[in-house]
Order: sequence, then C-alpha cells, then structure tokens
Amino acid sequence: MAHRILIIDDEDDIREVAALSLETVAGWEVATACCGTQGLARAIEFQPDAILLDVMMPGMDGPSTFRELRKNPATERIPVLLLTAKVQSTDQRRFADLGVDAVLFKPFDPLTLSKQIAGVLGWK
Amino acid sequence: MAPGKQTVLSEALNRLWIQFLPQMEERVRALESAGAALAAGTLTVDQRSEAHAAAHKLAGVLGTFDLTRGTILAREAEILYATEPETDAETAARLTSIAAQLRVIVASRR
Repeated sequence: MAHRILIIDDEDDIREVAALSLETVAGWEVATACCGTQGLARAIEFQPDAILLDVMMPGMDGPSTFRELRKNPATERIPVLLLTAKVQSTDQRRFADLGVDAVLFKPFDPLTLSKQIAGVLGWK
Repeated sequence: MAPGKQTVLSEALNRLWIQFLPQMEERVRALESAGAALAAGTLTVDQRSEAHAAAHKLAGVLGTFDLTRGTILAREAEILYATEPETDAETAARLTSIAAQLRVIVASRR
C-alpha cells in the first residue's frame, strides 16, 4: 500500500534524502515542508498517514509544531514521529513525554527508513 | 529490496551527495574556523554557536551517506561545543583534530 508521508525538516539535505528513500524503497507518496508553519499547512492539505517531524528547527520547533498539530481537528489524529540527532537520554525522555508516536534518530539508514516507520506504526 | 531498487537508491544518493557537498564543506569550514579561533583564544559566542550547529547537522547527516565515522566525530564536537564554555588547550586541540578529520572524511566520499 502506498502510504502518504509528510516530512517537516529545515535541513534540505535530510529532507531530500528521506523523501528519496521513502519514494524509492517503499513507493510511498511524500510531501515536504521546510518549517513548522509550512508543515502545519501541508498537513491539513495533504492529509498524510504519518508525519516525520524534525526536532530542532528555527522558529517553530518540532515540539511546538507537534502541539499545534494536536490542537487542530484536521491533524490531531495523524501519527507523528519525531526525527532527531539528539541522543542524550534527557532529550529522549523529554521527547517521549510529549506524546509522539515514536522517536527516530539521525542519521537514519535510507535503505531501512520505511521499514522503521512501518514497524513502529504497525503497518504491514 | 530488489537489487534494481538498491542501485537506483544508491545512484540517487550519490547525486544528492554531490548536490549537497558545498554545504557539507561549509559546515566543516565553520568547525575549522572555530577550532583555529579556540586555539588562538579568540572564539566568540557567535562562532561557538555556529560551530555547535554545524557539528549537530553533520552528526545528523553524514551517517545517512554511509560516513558513520563522520557522525561519531561530529557528535563529539557537538557535545564539546555545548558543554565546555571555558575550553582548555587539550579540548581545543581535540576540536581542531576533529575538524581536520571531518575534512578528510567528507573529501573521501565520491
């Protein structure tokens, strides 16, 4: 099944590699946004099956974007996976406490990113 | 994954690497400049912040391009820039060395 994924990340290299990976390996449909504000608008119009959300972004960061997604009836039920290069345990606990569906870590393996996402979301 | 798909992905990743190489090199340059400023005792708050951000970004992306050692080194630099407001000579030498190693690692990928 071709899932629809929205990637929100301010780093264009990460955004493009993730999109390439999900499109090429899994055949999923991917939309991208380069900041939290653009991500909120894209989430409403694209209605993805899941959102891959960077933590550290200028302006509205990942956690703030996540809270806005949950406030909006049009996006409140979309699963959100945080994507972070932070590996310290205090950061990991803080992210888990937000209530996101999963936390994935950078760097990711482009060969297996779609399997990781499908695995944590229970997709076949 | 089918071998055909793997080849397509690998070739596309190589194209993206070439596309984004200038910004990888820019991040390494930020680390080299900060290392030199540290050694000279002239590192500014802005330079430290820029070096920290550059290290964070390199840590997050290099492994994605199969440069795992680069991610490990960049992560070490990120932590040092985040946690060592008063940097001693040993730490400055380590950060300079990391920047030099990252330069080689980034240049080594074709």
